[in-house]
Amino acid sequence: MSAFLPAFAWQSFAVLGRHWRVHLRKWHTALLPPLMEPLIMLLAFGVGLGSHMSTLAWNGQSLDYLTYLAPGILAYTAFMTSFFQSLFSAYVRMHFQKSWEGQLTTQVRLEHVVWGEALWAASMATAYAGMVCLVLAGFGISGSLQLHWFGLLLSLPLLFLAALAFSSIGLLFTATLPSMDHMGLPFFLVIMPVGFASSTYFPLPSLPVLDQVAMLNPLNHLAEGLRDLLIMGHLSWHLAAAAGLSVLMLAVLIPIDLRLLRKRVFGDSR
Amino acid sequence: MEAVDSIQEPLLVAHGLVKSFGEKRVVDGVDLTCAPGEVLGLLGPNGAGKTTALRMCYGFLRPDAGSVRIAGHDLTAAPDAARRALGVCTQDDTFDADFSVRGNLEQTGRYYRPRLPQLSQRIDELLEQFGLKEYEHHMPEMLSGGYRRRLMIARAVLHRPRVVFLDEPTTGLDPQARVAVWELVASLRAQGMAVVLTTHYMDEAERLSDRLLVLQGGKVRASGQSVHVLGDIVGEHIVVLPVNAPGAEGVPAWLTSRGLTASTVLGFWHVPLDARGLASFASDFPVLRYEVRIPTLDDLFMALAEEKKQ
Repeated sequence: MSAFLPAFAWQSFAVLGRHWRVHLRKWHTALLPPLMEPLIMLLAFGVGLGSHMSTLAWNGQSLDYLTYLAPGILAYTAFMTSFFQSLFSAYVRMHFQKSWEGQLTTQVRLEHVVWGEALWAASMATAYAGMVCLVLAGFGISGSLQLHWFGLLLSLPLLFLAALAFSSIGLLFTATLPSMDHMGLPFFLVIMPVGFASSTYFPLPSLPVLDQVAMLNPLNHLAEGLRDLLIMGHLSWHLAAAAGLSVLMLAVLIPIDLRLLRKRVFGDSR
Repeated sequence: MEAVDSIQEPLLVAHGLVKSFGEKRVVDGVDLTCAPGEVLGLLGPNGAGKTTALRMCYGFLRPDAGSVRIAGHDLTAAPDAARRALGVCTQDDTFDADFSVRGNLEQTGRYYRPRLPQLSQRIDELLEQFGLKEYEHHMPEMLSGGYRRRLMIARAVLHRPRVVFLDEPTTGLDPQARVAVWELVASLRAQGMAVVLTTHYMDEAERLSDRLLVLQGGKVRASGQSVHVLGDIVGEHIVVLPVNAPGAEGVPAWLTSRGLTASTVLGFWHVPLDARGLASFASDFPVLRYEVRIPTLDDLFMALAEEKKQ
Protein backbone atom coordinates (compact mmCIF):
# COMPACT_ATOMS: atom_id res chain seq x y z
CA MET A 1 0.00 0.00 0.00
CA SER A 2 2.94 2.30 0.67
CA ALA A 3 3.59 2.44 -3.08
CA PHE A 4 0.16 4.02 -3.63
CA LEU A 5 -0.23 6.50 -0.76
CA PRO A 6 2.34 8.89 -2.28
CA ALA A 7 -0.06 9.36 -5.21
CA PHE A 8 -2.07 11.62 -2.89
CA ALA A 9 0.88 13.40 -1.25
CA TRP A 10 1.39 17.13 -1.77
CA GLN A 11 4.88 16.42 -3.17
CA SER A 12 3.42 14.42 -6.08
CA PHE A 13 1.12 17.32 -6.88
CA ALA A 14 4.05 19.75 -6.60
CA VAL A 15 5.81 17.70 -9.30
CA LEU A 16 2.60 17.60 -11.34
CA GLY A 17 2.31 21.38 -10.92
CA ARG A 18 5.85 21.81 -12.21
CA HIS A 19 4.98 19.93 -15.41
CA TRP A 20 1.79 21.94 -15.93
CA ARG A 21 3.68 25.19 -15.39
CA VAL A 22 6.26 24.27 -18.05
CA HIS A 23 3.56 23.05 -20.43
CA LEU A 24 1.39 26.13 -20.07
CA ARG A 25 4.32 28.32 -21.07
CA LYS A 26 4.41 26.45 -24.37
CA TRP A 27 0.65 26.16 -24.82
CA HIS A 28 0.55 27.87 -28.21
CA THR A 29 2.84 25.25 -29.76
CA ALA A 30 1.68 22.42 -27.53
CA LEU A 31 -1.97 22.91 -28.51
CA LEU A 32 -1.55 22.17 -32.19
CA PRO A 33 -0.63 18.44 -32.22
CA PRO A 34 -3.50 17.20 -30.02
CA LEU A 35 -5.97 19.19 -32.10
CA MET A 36 -4.52 18.55 -35.53
CA GLU A 37 -3.73 14.85 -35.16
CA PRO A 38 -7.29 13.61 -34.54
CA LEU A 39 -8.61 16.09 -37.08
CA ILE A 40 -6.27 14.77 -39.76
CA MET A 41 -6.89 11.14 -38.77
CA LEU A 42 -10.65 11.59 -38.85
CA LEU A 43 -10.51 13.44 -42.14
CA ALA A 44 -8.00 11.10 -43.78
CA PHE A 45 -9.34 7.79 -42.53
CA GLY A 46 -12.86 8.50 -41.35
CA VAL A 47 -13.95 10.75 -44.19
CA GLY A 48 -11.35 10.00 -46.90
CA LEU A 49 -10.88 6.26 -46.60
CA GLY A 50 -14.41 5.82 -45.21
CA SER A 51 -15.94 7.23 -48.39
CA HIS A 52 -14.41 4.33 -50.34
CA MET A 53 -15.76 1.74 -47.93
CA SER A 54 -19.13 0.22 -47.46
CA THR A 55 -20.54 0.19 -43.94
CA LEU A 56 -18.98 -1.85 -41.14
CA ALA A 57 -20.83 -4.49 -39.18
CA TRP A 58 -20.30 -3.96 -35.45
CA ASN A 59 -22.37 -5.60 -32.70
CA GLY A 60 -25.19 -6.20 -35.13
CA GLN A 61 -25.15 -2.57 -36.19
CA SER A 62 -24.25 -1.19 -39.57
CA LEU A 63 -21.85 1.76 -39.12
CA ASP A 64 -19.99 4.10 -41.42
CA TYR A 65 -16.23 4.07 -40.80
CA LEU A 66 -16.12 7.60 -39.32
CA THR A 67 -18.58 6.60 -36.60
CA TYR A 68 -16.63 3.41 -35.89
CA LEU A 69 -13.32 5.29 -35.81
CA ALA A 70 -14.30 8.22 -33.53
CA PRO A 71 -14.39 6.32 -30.17
CA GLY A 72 -11.31 4.35 -31.22
CA ILE A 73 -9.31 7.54 -31.73
CA LEU A 74 -10.42 8.77 -28.33
CA ALA A 75 -9.10 5.59 -26.67
CA TYR A 76 -5.93 5.50 -28.75
CA THR A 77 -5.14 9.14 -27.90
CA ALA A 78 -5.29 8.38 -24.18
CA PHE A 79 -3.04 5.36 -24.68
CA MET A 80 -0.45 7.01 -26.90
CA THR A 81 -0.23 10.31 -25.05
CA SER A 82 0.19 8.66 -21.69
CA PHE A 83 2.74 6.18 -22.95
CA PHE A 84 4.74 8.84 -24.76
CA GLN A 85 4.78 11.22 -21.78
CA SER A 86 5.73 8.59 -19.24
CA LEU A 87 8.37 7.11 -21.48
CA PHE A 88 10.03 9.70 -23.68
CA SER A 89 9.40 12.89 -21.69
CA ALA A 90 10.07 11.28 -18.32
CA TYR A 91 13.24 9.65 -19.65
CA VAL A 92 14.53 13.02 -20.88
CA ARG A 93 13.78 14.66 -17.53
CA MET A 94 15.40 11.81 -15.62
CA HIS A 95 18.43 11.11 -17.77
CA PHE A 96 19.33 14.26 -19.69
CA GLN A 97 17.84 17.21 -17.82
CA LYS A 98 18.51 15.64 -14.41
CA SER A 99 15.50 17.55 -13.12
CA TRP A 100 14.49 14.45 -11.11
CA GLU A 101 17.72 14.67 -9.14
CA GLY A 102 17.10 18.35 -8.49
CA GLN A 103 13.63 17.57 -7.13
CA LEU A 104 15.04 14.76 -5.01
CA THR A 105 17.30 17.14 -3.09
CA THR A 106 14.16 18.73 -1.60
CA GLN A 107 11.26 17.28 0.40
CA VAL A 108 10.22 15.42 -2.74
CA ARG A 109 11.13 11.72 -2.72
CA LEU A 110 11.40 9.27 -5.59
CA GLU A 111 7.90 7.88 -5.08
CA HIS A 112 6.54 11.42 -5.46
CA VAL A 113 8.55 12.05 -8.61
CA VAL A 114 7.26 8.80 -10.11
CA TRP A 115 3.65 9.47 -9.16
CA GLY A 116 4.05 13.06 -10.37
CA GLU A 117 5.14 11.70 -13.76
CA ALA A 118 2.28 9.19 -13.86
CA LEU A 119 -0.31 11.80 -12.88
CA TRP A 120 1.11 14.20 -15.43
CA ALA A 121 0.99 11.57 -18.20
CA ALA A 122 -2.62 10.75 -17.27
CA SER A 123 -3.58 14.43 -17.06
CA MET A 124 -2.05 15.16 -20.44
CA ALA A 125 -3.73 12.12 -21.95
CA THR A 126 -7.09 13.22 -20.55
CA ALA A 127 -6.55 16.79 -21.75
CA TYR A 128 -5.64 15.55 -25.22
CA ALA A 129 -8.66 13.24 -25.18
CA GLY A 130 -10.70 16.32 -24.26
CA MET A 131 -9.39 18.02 -27.39
CA VAL A 132 -10.35 14.96 -29.44
CA CYS A 133 -13.83 15.41 -27.95
CA LEU A 134 -13.83 18.98 -29.28
CA VAL A 135 -12.83 17.78 -32.73
CA LEU A 136 -15.56 15.11 -32.61
CA ALA A 137 -18.03 17.79 -31.55
CA GLY A 138 -16.95 19.79 -34.62
CA PHE A 139 -17.76 16.81 -36.82
CA GLY A 140 -21.07 16.51 -34.99
CA ILE A 141 -21.92 20.16 -35.62
CA SER A 142 -21.08 19.69 -39.30
CA GLY A 143 -23.59 16.82 -39.35
CA SER A 144 -21.08 14.15 -40.40
CA LEU A 145 -21.01 12.35 -37.06
CA GLN A 146 -23.79 11.28 -34.71
CA LEU A 147 -22.84 10.18 -31.19
CA HIS A 148 -24.43 10.15 -27.76
CA TRP A 149 -22.61 13.31 -26.79
CA PHE A 150 -23.22 13.10 -23.04
CA GLY A 151 -21.03 9.97 -23.14
CA LEU A 152 -17.98 12.10 -23.91
CA LEU A 153 -18.18 13.68 -20.48
CA LEU A 154 -18.72 10.31 -18.81
CA SER A 155 -15.75 8.85 -20.63
CA LEU A 156 -13.16 11.32 -19.28
CA PRO A 157 -12.70 9.83 -15.77
CA LEU A 158 -12.25 6.36 -17.25
CA LEU A 159 -9.80 7.71 -19.82
CA PHE A 160 -7.82 9.24 -16.93
CA LEU A 161 -7.70 5.91 -15.08
CA ALA A 162 -6.72 3.98 -18.20
CA ALA A 163 -4.05 6.57 -19.04
CA LEU A 164 -2.66 6.28 -15.51
CA ALA A 165 -2.38 2.54 -16.05
CA PHE A 166 -0.71 2.98 -19.45
CA SER A 167 1.79 5.36 -17.85
CA SER A 168 2.90 2.53 -15.56
CA ILE A 169 4.05 0.61 -18.66
CA GLY A 170 5.83 3.69 -19.98
CA LEU A 171 7.62 4.13 -16.65
CA LEU A 172 8.68 0.49 -16.76
CA PHE A 173 10.61 1.21 -19.94
CA THR A 174 11.91 4.50 -18.53
CA ALA A 175 13.40 2.44 -15.73
CA THR A 176 14.91 -0.24 -17.92
CA LEU A 177 15.90 1.20 -21.32
CA PRO A 178 19.70 1.31 -21.44
CA SER A 179 19.83 4.43 -23.62
CA MET A 180 17.92 6.75 -25.90
CA ASP A 181 18.98 4.55 -28.84
CA HIS A 182 16.67 1.82 -27.50
CA MET A 183 13.61 4.07 -27.49
CA GLY A 184 12.25 2.21 -30.52
CA LEU A 185 11.88 -1.01 -28.51
CA PRO A 186 8.74 -0.10 -26.55
CA PHE A 187 7.08 1.00 -29.77
CA PHE A 188 7.63 -2.43 -31.29
CA LEU A 189 7.05 -4.35 -28.08
CA VAL A 190 4.03 -2.49 -26.70
CA ILE A 191 2.52 0.21 -28.85
CA MET A 192 2.25 -1.75 -32.09
CA PRO A 193 0.98 -5.06 -30.65
CA VAL A 194 -1.39 -3.40 -28.17
CA GLY A 195 -2.64 -1.04 -30.85
CA PHE A 196 -3.08 -3.89 -33.33
CA ALA A 197 -5.04 -6.10 -30.91
CA SER A 198 -7.32 -3.33 -29.79
CA SER A 199 -10.06 -2.69 -32.35
CA THR A 200 -9.32 1.03 -32.20
CA TYR A 201 -8.91 1.55 -35.94
CA PHE A 202 -10.53 -1.58 -37.36
CA PRO A 203 -12.62 -4.51 -36.11
CA LEU A 204 -10.41 -7.39 -35.06
CA PRO A 205 -10.46 -10.43 -37.34
CA SER A 206 -12.07 -13.34 -35.53
CA LEU A 207 -9.12 -15.56 -34.62
CA PRO A 208 -9.13 -17.60 -31.39
CA VAL A 209 -5.68 -16.42 -30.28
CA LEU A 210 -6.42 -12.81 -31.12
CA ASP A 211 -9.72 -12.97 -29.26
CA GLN A 212 -7.91 -14.16 -26.13
CA VAL A 213 -5.25 -11.46 -26.41
CA ALA A 214 -7.92 -8.82 -26.94
CA MET A 215 -9.73 -9.99 -23.83
CA LEU A 216 -6.64 -9.05 -21.78
CA ASN A 217 -6.00 -5.82 -23.63
CA PRO A 218 -7.32 -2.79 -21.70
CA LEU A 219 -7.12 -0.64 -24.85
CA ASN A 220 -9.45 -3.03 -26.64
CA HIS A 221 -11.99 -2.87 -23.81
CA LEU A 222 -11.62 0.90 -23.65
CA ALA A 223 -12.28 1.31 -27.37
CA GLU A 224 -15.20 -1.12 -27.36
CA GLY A 225 -16.63 0.34 -24.17
CA LEU A 226 -16.47 3.86 -25.58
CA ARG A 227 -18.20 2.62 -28.73
CA ASP A 228 -21.00 1.16 -26.62
CA LEU A 229 -21.25 4.41 -24.72
CA LEU A 230 -20.97 6.87 -27.60
CA ILE A 231 -22.70 4.94 -30.38
CA MET A 232 -25.24 2.84 -28.48
CA GLY A 233 -25.61 5.19 -25.54
CA HIS A 234 -25.21 2.60 -22.79
CA LEU A 235 -22.61 1.44 -20.31
CA SER A 236 -21.25 -1.99 -21.11
CA TRP A 237 -19.08 -4.61 -19.43
CA HIS A 238 -16.17 -3.45 -21.58
CA LEU A 239 -15.94 -0.26 -19.54
CA ALA A 240 -15.84 -2.27 -16.31
CA ALA A 241 -13.21 -4.57 -17.85
CA ALA A 242 -11.11 -1.57 -18.92
CA ALA A 243 -11.34 -0.10 -15.41
CA GLY A 244 -10.56 -3.43 -13.76
CA LEU A 245 -7.56 -4.16 -15.98
CA SER A 246 -6.30 -0.62 -15.40
CA VAL A 247 -6.46 -1.03 -11.63
CA LEU A 248 -4.74 -4.41 -11.94
CA MET A 249 -1.96 -2.92 -14.06
CA LEU A 250 -1.43 -0.14 -11.55
CA ALA A 251 -1.40 -2.55 -8.62
CA VAL A 252 1.20 -4.77 -10.27
CA LEU A 253 3.36 -2.33 -12.21
CA ILE A 254 3.72 0.72 -9.96
CA PRO A 255 5.60 -1.16 -7.21
CA ILE A 256 7.84 -2.69 -9.88
CA ASP A 257 8.38 0.74 -11.47
CA LEU A 258 9.35 2.20 -8.11
CA ARG A 259 11.81 -0.57 -7.39
CA LEU A 260 13.44 -0.41 -10.83
CA LEU A 261 13.58 3.38 -10.87
CA ARG A 262 15.14 3.43 -7.41
CA LYS A 263 17.79 1.10 -8.75
CA ARG A 264 18.27 3.27 -11.82
CA VAL A 265 18.36 6.66 -10.12
CA PHE A 266 20.21 5.77 -6.92
CA GLY A 267 21.95 2.56 -7.94
CA ASP A 268 20.09 0.85 -5.11
CA SER A 269 16.70 -0.87 -5.04
CA ARG A 270 16.10 -0.63 -1.27
CA MET B 1 8.01 18.13 16.33
CA GLU B 2 11.33 17.45 17.94
CA ALA B 3 14.04 19.94 17.10
CA VAL B 4 17.51 20.87 18.17
CA ASP B 5 18.00 24.44 19.28
CA SER B 6 21.02 24.20 21.50
CA ILE B 7 24.16 25.25 19.67
CA GLN B 8 26.02 22.57 21.63
CA GLU B 9 24.07 19.80 19.94
CA PRO B 10 25.33 18.70 16.51
CA LEU B 11 22.81 19.40 13.75
CA LEU B 12 23.92 16.33 11.85
CA VAL B 13 24.34 13.08 13.74
CA ALA B 14 24.96 9.97 11.65
CA HIS B 15 25.64 6.83 13.59
CA GLY B 16 26.87 3.43 12.48
CA LEU B 17 26.14 3.87 8.79
CA VAL B 18 26.51 0.70 6.78
CA LYS B 19 25.81 0.26 3.07
CA SER B 20 26.55 -2.63 0.76
CA PHE B 21 26.03 -2.90 -2.97
CA GLY B 22 25.78 -6.59 -3.75
CA GLU B 23 28.61 -8.34 -1.95
CA LYS B 24 30.67 -5.17 -1.58
CA ARG B 25 30.39 -3.24 1.69
CA VAL B 26 30.97 0.34 0.56
CA VAL B 27 30.38 2.07 3.91
CA ASP B 28 31.16 0.13 7.04
CA GLY B 29 30.11 1.63 10.36
CA VAL B 30 30.70 5.32 9.73
CA ASP B 31 29.80 7.90 12.41
CA LEU B 32 29.78 11.57 11.61
CA THR B 33 28.56 14.74 13.23
CA CYS B 34 28.49 18.40 12.30
CA ALA B 35 27.71 21.25 14.67
CA PRO B 36 26.11 24.63 13.91
CA GLY B 37 28.60 26.99 12.28
CA GLU B 38 31.01 24.15 11.55
CA VAL B 39 32.38 22.97 8.21
CA LEU B 40 33.15 19.26 8.11
CA GLY B 41 35.41 18.18 5.27
CA LEU B 42 34.74 14.63 4.15
CA LEU B 43 37.82 13.27 2.43
CA GLY B 44 39.03 10.05 0.98
CA PRO B 45 40.38 8.60 -2.23
CA ASN B 46 38.03 7.43 -4.97
CA GLY B 47 36.05 4.44 -3.76
CA ALA B 48 36.52 5.34 -0.08
CA GLY B 49 32.74 5.56 0.38
CA LYS B 50 32.36 9.29 0.93
CA THR B 51 29.72 9.88 -1.76
CA THR B 52 27.73 6.87 -0.50
CA ALA B 53 28.00 8.11 3.09
CA LEU B 54 26.94 11.59 2.01
CA ARG B 55 24.02 10.23 -0.01
CA MET B 56 22.78 8.32 3.03
CA CYS B 57 23.03 11.51 5.10
CA TYR B 58 20.80 13.48 2.73
CA GLY B 59 18.36 10.69 2.08
CA PHE B 60 19.24 9.52 -1.44
CA LEU B 61 20.22 6.09 -0.14
CA ARG B 62 18.72 4.06 2.68
CA PRO B 63 21.37 2.71 5.05
CA ASP B 64 21.49 -1.06 5.61
CA ALA B 65 22.20 -0.19 9.24
CA GLY B 66 22.64 2.97 11.26
CA SER B 67 20.70 6.18 11.59
CA VAL B 68 20.83 9.79 10.47
CA ARG B 69 19.36 12.69 12.43
CA ILE B 70 19.09 16.14 10.92
CA ALA B 71 18.42 18.92 13.44
CA GLY B 72 16.91 16.30 15.74
CA HIS B 73 14.70 14.66 13.11
CA ASP B 74 15.30 11.05 12.17
CA LEU B 75 15.70 10.86 8.40
CA THR B 76 13.89 7.51 8.16
CA ALA B 77 11.13 8.04 10.71
CA ALA B 78 10.42 11.71 9.92
CA PRO B 79 11.69 12.22 6.38
CA ASP B 80 9.65 15.36 5.68
CA ALA B 81 10.87 17.21 8.77
CA ALA B 82 14.46 16.04 8.28
CA ARG B 83 14.50 16.99 4.61
CA ARG B 84 13.02 20.39 5.44
CA ALA B 85 16.10 20.99 7.59
CA LEU B 86 18.72 19.98 5.03
CA GLY B 87 19.96 21.43 1.76
CA VAL B 88 21.93 19.68 -0.95
CA CYS B 89 24.22 20.92 -3.68
CA THR B 90 25.00 17.86 -5.79
CA GLN B 91 28.20 17.45 -7.73
CA ASP B 92 26.41 17.71 -11.10
CA ASP B 93 24.26 20.68 -12.01
CA THR B 94 20.70 19.52 -11.49
CA PHE B 95 18.73 22.71 -11.94
CA ASP B 96 15.56 22.69 -13.98
CA ALA B 97 16.47 23.54 -17.57
CA ASP B 98 12.88 24.65 -18.28
CA PHE B 99 13.07 27.59 -15.87
CA SER B 100 15.13 30.76 -15.64
CA VAL B 101 17.50 31.42 -12.73
CA ARG B 102 14.70 33.05 -10.77
CA GLY B 103 12.20 30.44 -11.96
CA ASN B 104 14.45 27.68 -10.63
CA LEU B 105 14.43 29.24 -7.19
CA GLU B 106 10.66 29.81 -7.33
CA GLN B 107 10.04 26.22 -8.41
CA THR B 108 12.36 24.84 -5.73
CA GLY B 109 10.37 26.83 -3.17
CA ARG B 110 7.27 24.89 -4.20
CA TYR B 111 8.90 21.63 -3.14
CA TYR B 112 8.76 22.57 0.56
CA ARG B 113 6.03 22.48 3.19
CA PRO B 114 5.25 24.42 5.28
CA ARG B 115 5.43 26.89 2.41
CA LEU B 116 8.42 29.19 2.57
CA PRO B 117 7.38 32.54 4.03
CA GLN B 118 8.03 35.59 1.86
CA LEU B 119 9.55 33.44 -0.89
CA SER B 120 9.91 36.28 -3.38
CA GLN B 121 11.78 38.40 -0.86
CA ARG B 122 14.03 35.48 0.05
CA ILE B 123 14.80 34.91 -3.64
CA ASP B 124 15.72 38.58 -4.08
CA GLU B 125 17.98 38.31 -1.06
CA LEU B 126 19.76 35.22 -2.45
CA LEU B 127 20.08 36.68 -5.95
CA GLU B 128 21.87 39.67 -4.41
CA GLN B 129 23.99 37.60 -2.04
CA PHE B 130 25.09 35.17 -4.75
CA GLY B 131 25.67 37.85 -7.41
CA LEU B 132 22.94 36.42 -9.62
CA LYS B 133 20.64 39.46 -9.77
CA GLU B 134 21.66 40.52 -13.28
CA TYR B 135 21.12 36.97 -14.54
CA GLU B 136 17.79 36.31 -12.86
CA HIS B 137 15.89 36.05 -16.15
CA HIS B 138 18.62 34.06 -17.94
CA MET B 139 18.26 30.33 -18.49
CA PRO B 140 20.76 28.37 -16.38
CA GLU B 141 22.59 26.91 -19.39
CA MET B 142 23.54 30.48 -20.37
CA LEU B 143 25.53 30.91 -17.15
CA SER B 144 29.25 30.26 -16.74
CA GLY B 145 30.35 27.33 -14.59
CA GLY B 146 30.96 29.56 -11.58
CA TYR B 147 27.53 31.15 -11.73
CA ARG B 148 25.87 27.77 -12.22
CA ARG B 149 27.49 26.62 -8.98
CA ARG B 150 26.25 29.75 -7.29
CA LEU B 151 22.75 28.96 -8.46
CA MET B 152 23.09 25.38 -7.20
CA ILE B 153 24.19 26.57 -3.77
CA ALA B 154 21.51 29.30 -3.68
CA ARG B 155 18.92 26.64 -4.43
CA ALA B 156 20.30 24.42 -1.67
CA VAL B 157 19.91 27.15 0.98
CA LEU B 158 16.67 28.74 -0.28
CA HIS B 159 14.61 27.23 2.54
CA ARG B 160 17.13 28.22 5.23
CA PRO B 161 18.25 24.67 6.05
CA ARG B 162 20.17 23.87 9.23
CA VAL B 163 22.53 21.41 7.52
CA VAL B 164 23.98 21.90 4.02
CA PHE B 165 25.70 19.18 2.00
CA LEU B 166 28.09 20.40 -0.70
CA ASP B 167 29.37 17.60 -2.90
CA GLU B 168 32.51 18.81 -4.67
CA PRO B 169 31.11 22.31 -5.11
CA THR B 170 34.10 23.76 -6.97
CA THR B 171 35.04 20.91 -9.29
CA GLY B 172 35.79 22.27 -12.75
CA LEU B 173 35.83 25.93 -11.73
CA ASP B 174 38.59 28.42 -12.46
CA PRO B 175 40.52 29.82 -9.46
CA GLN B 176 38.50 33.04 -9.30
CA ALA B 177 35.19 31.19 -9.30
CA ARG B 178 36.50 28.78 -6.66
CA VAL B 179 37.35 31.66 -4.36
CA ALA B 180 33.85 33.08 -4.88
CA VAL B 181 32.34 29.73 -3.86
CA TRP B 182 34.65 29.56 -0.83
CA GLU B 183 33.36 32.94 0.29
CA LEU B 184 29.78 31.69 -0.05
CA VAL B 185 30.61 28.61 2.02
CA ALA B 186 32.17 30.84 4.67
CA SER B 187 29.01 32.94 4.71
CA LEU B 188 26.87 29.82 5.25
CA ARG B 189 29.05 28.90 8.21
CA ALA B 190 28.72 32.46 9.54
CA GLN B 191 24.94 32.07 9.37
CA GLY B 192 25.19 29.10 11.73
CA MET B 193 24.56 26.35 9.22
CA ALA B 194 26.32 23.03 9.61
CA VAL B 195 28.16 22.46 6.32
CA VAL B 196 29.39 19.07 5.12
CA LEU B 197 31.78 19.34 2.22
CA THR B 198 33.47 16.85 -0.04
CA THR B 199 36.28 17.93 -2.30
CA HIS B 200 39.28 16.64 -4.17
CA TYR B 201 41.07 19.97 -3.76
CA MET B 202 43.21 19.65 -0.68
CA ASP B 203 43.84 23.39 -0.34
CA GLU B 204 40.07 23.86 -0.35
CA ALA B 205 39.56 21.28 2.38
CA GLU B 206 42.29 22.84 4.51
CA ARG B 207 41.02 26.39 4.09
CA LEU B 208 37.33 25.73 4.56
CA SER B 209 37.07 22.84 6.98
CA ASP B 210 37.05 23.20 10.73
CA ARG B 211 37.32 19.46 10.99
CA LEU B 212 38.17 16.63 8.62
CA LEU B 213 36.81 13.13 8.43
CA VAL B 214 38.95 10.82 6.35
CA LEU B 215 37.38 7.68 4.92
CA GLN B 216 39.36 4.72 3.65
CA GLY B 217 37.77 1.48 2.48
CA GLY B 218 34.37 2.54 3.80
CA LYS B 219 35.63 3.18 7.34
CA VAL B 220 36.70 6.28 9.20
CA ARG B 221 40.48 6.32 8.99
CA ALA B 222 41.00 9.55 10.93
CA SER B 223 39.07 12.59 12.08
CA GLY B 224 39.76 15.92 13.72
CA GLN B 225 41.52 19.13 12.81
CA SER B 226 43.68 18.87 9.71
CA VAL B 227 46.93 19.21 11.61
CA HIS B 228 46.03 16.27 13.85
CA VAL B 229 44.74 14.15 11.00
CA LEU B 230 47.94 14.75 9.07
CA GLY B 231 50.06 14.00 12.12
CA ASP B 232 48.20 10.75 12.74
CA ILE B 233 48.27 9.44 9.19
CA VAL B 234 51.18 11.12 7.48
CA GLY B 235 53.65 12.32 10.12
CA GLU B 236 54.99 15.66 11.23
CA HIS B 237 57.53 16.24 8.46
CA ILE B 238 57.99 15.29 4.85
CA VAL B 239 61.47 14.79 3.53
CA VAL B 240 61.67 15.32 -0.23
CA LEU B 241 64.67 14.13 -2.20
CA PRO B 242 65.41 12.94 -5.74
CA VAL B 243 65.32 9.19 -6.18
CA ASN B 244 68.70 9.26 -7.94
CA ALA B 245 70.36 11.69 -5.54
CA PRO B 246 74.01 10.80 -4.82
CA GLY B 247 74.12 8.94 -1.52
CA ALA B 248 70.44 8.01 -1.56
CA GLU B 249 71.05 4.35 -2.40
CA GLY B 250 70.64 3.33 1.22
CA VAL B 251 67.32 5.13 1.73
CA PRO B 252 64.98 2.24 0.70
CA ALA B 253 66.70 -0.16 3.09
CA TRP B 254 66.63 2.50 5.82
CA LEU B 255 62.88 2.94 5.33
CA THR B 256 62.24 -0.81 5.28
CA SER B 257 64.17 -1.32 8.49
CA ARG B 258 61.85 1.18 10.19
CA GLY B 259 58.65 -0.05 8.62
CA LEU B 260 58.19 3.20 6.70
CA THR B 261 57.09 3.78 3.12
CA ALA B 262 57.80 6.70 0.83
CA SER B 263 55.60 7.81 -2.03
CA THR B 264 57.32 8.50 -5.32
CA VAL B 265 56.18 11.48 -7.35
CA LEU B 266 57.92 12.47 -10.58
CA GLY B 267 61.27 11.03 -9.55
CA PHE B 268 61.16 12.35 -5.99
CA TRP B 269 60.69 10.43 -2.77
CA HIS B 270 58.32 11.98 -0.25
CA VAL B 271 59.22 10.42 3.09
CA PRO B 272 56.87 11.07 6.04
CA LEU B 273 58.74 11.24 9.35
CA ASP B 274 58.12 12.26 12.93
CA ALA B 275 60.62 14.43 14.81
CA ARG B 276 62.69 11.46 16.04
CA GLY B 277 62.66 9.88 12.61
CA LEU B 278 63.84 13.13 11.05
CA ALA B 279 66.70 13.40 13.54
CA SER B 280 67.65 9.82 12.84
CA PHE B 281 67.48 10.38 9.05
CA ALA B 282 69.70 13.45 9.33
CA SER B 283 72.19 11.50 11.37
CA ASP B 284 72.23 8.43 9.06
CA PHE B 285 72.49 10.45 5.81
CA PRO B 286 74.69 13.39 6.74
CA VAL B 287 75.82 14.29 3.21
CA LEU B 288 72.46 13.87 1.48
CA ARG B 289 70.77 17.06 0.24
CA TYR B 290 67.02 17.13 0.72
CA GLU B 291 64.10 19.40 1.52
CA VAL B 292 61.99 19.19 4.66
CA ARG B 293 58.46 20.55 4.53
CA ILE B 294 55.29 20.32 6.54
CA PRO B 295 52.77 17.71 5.31
CA THR B 296 49.72 18.70 3.29
CA LEU B 297 46.50 16.88 2.53
CA ASP B 298 48.07 15.82 -0.77
CA ASP B 299 50.49 13.79 1.33
CA LEU B 300 47.53 12.35 3.16
CA PHE B 301 46.08 11.10 -0.09
CA MET B 302 49.42 9.68 -1.14
CA ALA B 303 49.75 7.92 2.21
CA LEU B 304 46.26 6.47 1.92
CA ALA B 305 46.99 5.28 -1.60
CA GLU B 306 50.15 3.57 -0.34
CA GLU B 307 48.14 1.94 2.47
CA LYS B 308 45.60 0.71 -0.06
CA LYS B 309 48.33 -0.79 -2.25
CA GLN B 310 49.72 -2.69 0.72
